[in-house]
Amino acid sequence: MRILLVEDDAEAAAYVAKGLREAGHVVDHALDGESGLNMATSGGYDAYVIDRMLPKMDGLALLSSRRTEGDVTPALFLSALGEVDDRVSGLKAGGDDYLVKPYAFSELLARIEALGRRRATGPAEVTTRFKVGDLELDVLTRTVRRAERKIDLQPREFRLLEYLMRHAGQVVTRTMLLENVWEYHFDPQTNVIDVHISRLRAKIDKDFDKPLLKTIRGAGYRLSDAD
Amino acid sequence: MLRILRTTSFRFTLIYVVLFAGAVALLGAYLYSATFGEAAKQTDNVIDSEIGVLADLFSSSGSGMLTRVIRQRTAWSDDAIYMLIGAPSGAVLAGNLTALPPEALTAEGDFFNFKFEKPLLDAAGREVGIQQREARGKMMRFRASPDAEQSYLVVVARDVASREFLRERSQSVVMRAAMVTIALGVVIGLIFSRSLLRRVEVVNKTARAIRGGDLSQRVPTKGSGDELDDLGENLNSMLDQIERLMAGMREVSDNIAHDLRSPLTRIRNRLNDALEGDGEAKDEALRATIDDSEKVLATFNALLSIARIQSGEGAGAMAPVDIVAIAEEMAELYEPAAQDAGFEFTFITAPTPPVKGSRELVSQALANFLDNALKYAEGGTRIELKVGPTKNGGAVLSVADDGPGVAPENRERVLERFVRLEQSRSTPGSGLGLSLVSAIARAHGATLELQDGLSHQNDDGCGLRIVMTFAPAD
Repeated sequence: MRILLVEDDAEAAAYVAKGLREAGHVVDHALDGESGLNMATSGGYDAYVIDRMLPKMDGLALLSSRRTEGDVTPALFLSALGEVDDRVSGLKAGGDDYLVKPYAFSELLARIEALGRRRATGPAEVTTRFKVGDLELDVLTRTVRRAERKIDLQPREFRLLEYLMRHAGQVVTRTMLLENVWEYHFDPQTNVIDVHISRLRAKIDKDFDKPLLKTIRGAGYRLSDAD
Repeated sequence: MLRILRTTSFRFTLIYVVLFAGAVALLGAYLYSATFGEAAKQTDNVIDSEIGVLADLFSSSGSGMLTRVIRQRTAWSDDAIYMLIGAPSGAVLAGNLTALPPEALTAEGDFFNFKFEKPLLDAAGREVGIQQREARGKMMRFRASPDAEQSYLVVVARDVASREFLRERSQSVVMRAAMVTIALGVVIGLIFSRSLLRRVEVVNKTARAIRGGDLSQRVPTKGSGDELDDLGENLNSMLDQIERLMAGMREVSDNIAHDLRSPLTRIRNRLNDALEGDGEAKDEALRATIDDSEKVLATFNALLSIARIQSGEGAGAMAPVDIVAIAEEMAELYEPAAQDAGFEFTFITAPTPPVKGSRELVSQALANFLDNALKYAEGGTRIELKVGPTKNGGAVLSVADDGPGVAPENRERVLERFVRLEQSRSTPGSGLGLSLVSAIARAHGATLELQDGLSHQNDDGCGLRIVMTFAPAD
């Protein structure tokens, strides 16, 4: 992916850019809002990562101006402002995701890749059936099968699996799960998400040879057919 | 003194006085025209009709008859004035004026006012002095025929001295009354303003003391329930809020000092040591440092959230939220983790009215209760999440466990200082969970309480129950 990073803290930006490059992405970096806007206008990016508070031009203004130009490139806000209201104003300005500083790099990477994926499938396209290996999920009939065997899931387990399947092959963090499956924006102190994952795993992986739902140490989980 | 003149109450009083004086002036003008104006008009009418009668008499019976009639009339009436001057000689033929008033000739045919001297008589009819009188009248010329050269001058007038006297008198009375009214208004305005200014001055004095750093000062209230008392009470509750916020800030900075300084010191010492060590030790130090900095970040995040909630920013829009739905969601989120940790998880629910609050914050508080139960109810076997209504239409959320609990004498301290008890210092976590919950409770106007939890299996005590009580949403 070609990523535009707009961040005024040069050291933080260098750290993020290095990590993203190591993960195989191309990163352009702008130090202030105005040059960020100029670079975004020249086009060709798959995702924007924008700090909210920038010199010369605020991150919100930058993105709203791109959105009014019809630019639909997925964008993620980085911000030290983490309350619900700030998040809402970020999403209203056209942001697709919002990450509060300080964050773990693995969290940022997972979210950027989720954004890139959203773009690849396109927002207008509605997928109702998902398949990873021999695991199938149908959103309309709310059924899950693996190797043609029906698996019964609780409603929340179904939503959890649906989210994992929509992001198959990507690392999904605990925070992303809590935000998207439970719609909460705080971090529990205990391993509540892990327990839900292990219950889901018991249902979809336990009786089968090949595990699909993997734990990625220090980052989160990945649902994938690959080894 | 100058300050009083600038006060709002004084300005209001002045405006009131001006308006009142204007109204009195209008009323006076109306009374004047309805009484004196009307009386003057009547006098004029009487004079006109008198002249008409005399003119008829003159044309039918001539000057001799007229002279007789005028004589008769002046004898009858004291304040009726007549005068007839014969032509061409210019001699006064009849009447009670000694000379023709000079105004009469200039105003010929029109009404005019004039002064004349009247002898003052005693009871016996002797002249004892001269009196200045005022009269209003009209002078006409009577001719025997339209083209006759000879004409008689006739003056008919009425003595208006007593009426004029009354008019002047009442005018001056009204003027004096108006002056007194205005003066009284100003004085009362000054008195009102001064007492108001005094009470406002008390508020100002308090404000100055507070600005000087003494946040414990409060505006004294009289308990009379008037608007100044209201203002004072509102100011006081605002000050209470500010004091609470300041205390919260102090608490947060105390916590920063405590919870950030020690891991940061540890990091620095470890890195110092690592500089001396070999490869293996260096790696170990770096790993431990990463762990420590994660902890610092978590603490920092928690402190930030607390500060935000306390400043009212994090609350978002307080809208009625379904507290039962929140509890259900959190039960669903935590039940597996509780079971995995070996607890029997019970969720007790009853129909509960919605409370005013933020879903995010209420569930965060509840998550904290559950996290705490999972972390500290060591050796326990049960966790109970309960939601229900209060008697007065509010709601109560509680989480109970049968872990070691908190001794009753320590509960107040736990809630007040929000520190973990020493014995549990080693358990992971920022140690700010209860601080956060307390900030959330305050933002919702809810109360927090620690109570006896579920009793132990072997009946040797009980665990802890943390209770959050919400006031009814109005």
